[in-house]
Amino acid sequence: MTDLAAQVTAALQRSVLPSVIARGATLRVVAVDDGVATVEVTGSPGAALPLASRIEAQVRAAVPEITAVRMAAPGREPPPRDAGSLAEQARHVLDAEINPMISVHNGHVTVPGADRGLVRIRLEGGCQGCSLAEVTVRQGIEPLLRARLPGVAGVVDVTDHEAGTQPFFSAGKR
Amino acid sequence: MAASNCAVEPPRVLLLVPARTYRAADFLAAAGRMGLDLVVGSDGALPLGGHPVARVSPGDPAGSADRIMALGRRFDAVVAADAPMLTLAAVLAERMGLPHNPVDAVIAAADKAEQRRRWAGAAVAQPAFRIVPATASQDALRRAAAEAGFPCVVKAVSLSASQGILRADDPAAAAAAARRIRRILAAARRPGHEPLLVEQYVPGPELSIDGLLTGHGLTVTAIFDKPGTPDGPTFEETVLVTPSRLPRPVQAAAIATAGRAARALGLSHGPVHAELRIGQRGGQPRPVMLELAARSIGGLCSRALRFAGDQSLEELVLADALGRPAAAGRPAARPSGVLMLPVPRSGVLRAVEGRGDAIAVPGVTGLNITIPVGRRVQPLPDGDRYLGFIFAEADTQEDVEQALARARERLRVVIS
Repeated sequence: MTDLAAQVTAALQRSVLPSVIARGATLRVVAVDDGVATVEVTGSPGAALPLASRIEAQVRAAVPEITAVRMAAPGREPPPRDAGSLAEQARHVLDAEINPMISVHNGHVTVPGADRGLVRIRLEGGCQGCSLAEVTVRQGIEPLLRARLPGVAGVVDVTDHEAGTQPFFSAGKR
Repeated sequence: MAASNCAVEPPRVLLLVPARTYRAADFLAAAGRMGLDLVVGSDGALPLGGHPVARVSPGDPAGSADRIMALGRRFDAVVAADAPMLTLAAVLAERMGLPHNPVDAVIAAADKAEQRRRWAGAAVAQPAFRIVPATASQDALRRAAAEAGFPCVVKAVSLSASQGILRADDPAAAAAAARRIRRILAAARRPGHEPLLVEQYVPGPELSIDGLLTGHGLTVTAIFDKPGTPDGPTFEETVLVTPSRLPRPVQAAAIATAGRAARALGLSHGPVHAELRIGQRGGQPRPVMLELAARSIGGLCSRALRFAGDQSLEELVLADALGRPAAAGRPAARPSGVLMLPVPRSGVLRAVEGRGDAIAVPGVTGLNITIPVGRRVQPLPDGDRYLGFIFAEADTQEDVEQALARARERLRVVIS
């Protein structure tokens, strides 16, 4: 690893990496060329890609030689430029394949928007605050959208789960 | 050298997730970070067409195991995310030929009376106790309490999280505690034939030990002190702080006791969560076992822990299940802790105010309220839930405790 790459790695470890890890992804510096650091995201892309601008700002502040940070999720095609159409496509897939299923649990999922391959979803009704919401998102919604829509890099759950008043399953301390 | 064009497939893990658990998100995050091929087995999740979700029922381990085996898939590990799935995980791992705890050991570990019997047989240090059958008279219960010694603690054998546990200082209080616990068991729809456990109250510091069992013994992942644990009549857990400030020899003795307790139950693999008190014998500290579960620490408490390489406790559990060497033993560099917010009184939860003020306390790293507004809540020993969790990290354990206490003071729980 080059010295600059090591500095970028150290900056990530001091700043955003713990919160990225806690959300199910990790970051690895794979290259530094002409001041551009390429950071690979593994795990759940939706756990890291929404933080891209924050990551870049923190890396640039810590390592002045870096002028930009490029985030890469391996194996994904680049997202389409028309982010609005991606949101529409995601809504169509969710309405056709997910919402009929989760309505069994009085749940519903909406798409507030999409940006740079990241689809923002909001869980409502029985899904909001449900103890299995993360299973629904990571085992159901995210892989399904990634399989159906090549432009989807990940899913970001923007639900305020603590505000849910009718979760289908609520947790108990064990 | 012949080139291979075989791609290396990620390990496939069957994660058994009960419907009502705090633990799903952290295990899924860990699996995602580790790049595992995850199949979820659950009694609550819907099959949504993405990654597989298999229907299982913790109340029907044999039938559930049949359904999983019928999938015809190879798994590298089976992991229970929380207590209700432990027996099924053991049954499945046995049928798949994977390392596992004996099924009868897992069942024994879920029964506080059977724990006491097995520990007595193996001379594991524990409080004096009596097991009182459901058919026992009030007189028999009072006699059992007197034999255990006052003050005593009356416990349901199948509940957890301090639910159904009451201290009694005399025979009449013991009988009253037993009647109340019977009502709690009935409300929890537990079988009417369950015995009660009556055990001597052990004064002294309380701690919990989390670890991973391997062929080499117990590898400790965390020791939490429990400052402020109540003396009764109820025993809500409140603050957990790590690393422990108990003297090293006392910690070592507690670890040895927990390891013996796990072996006495027949446990040999995977995570354990042990709770002990440090009593006194002959003027010397003596760890005694209170309880042990064949799982990692409950609730959201594991979020107070970080290990080498910023691994979570769930990553250690998954790695251990895959046969990777336990890389525990190096917990977070800074002291950390968690405060479980008890329910202060019965009623309907209307609001938890002051969250912004609480999270702004220096050292506080997180706050999760986990009971939805509008829900009816009950304090211990009747209830089985905490309002939520506050997390903190600081330079010293004392600072962690202070941060947690200040954050709690800033919360206003509205129940009507």
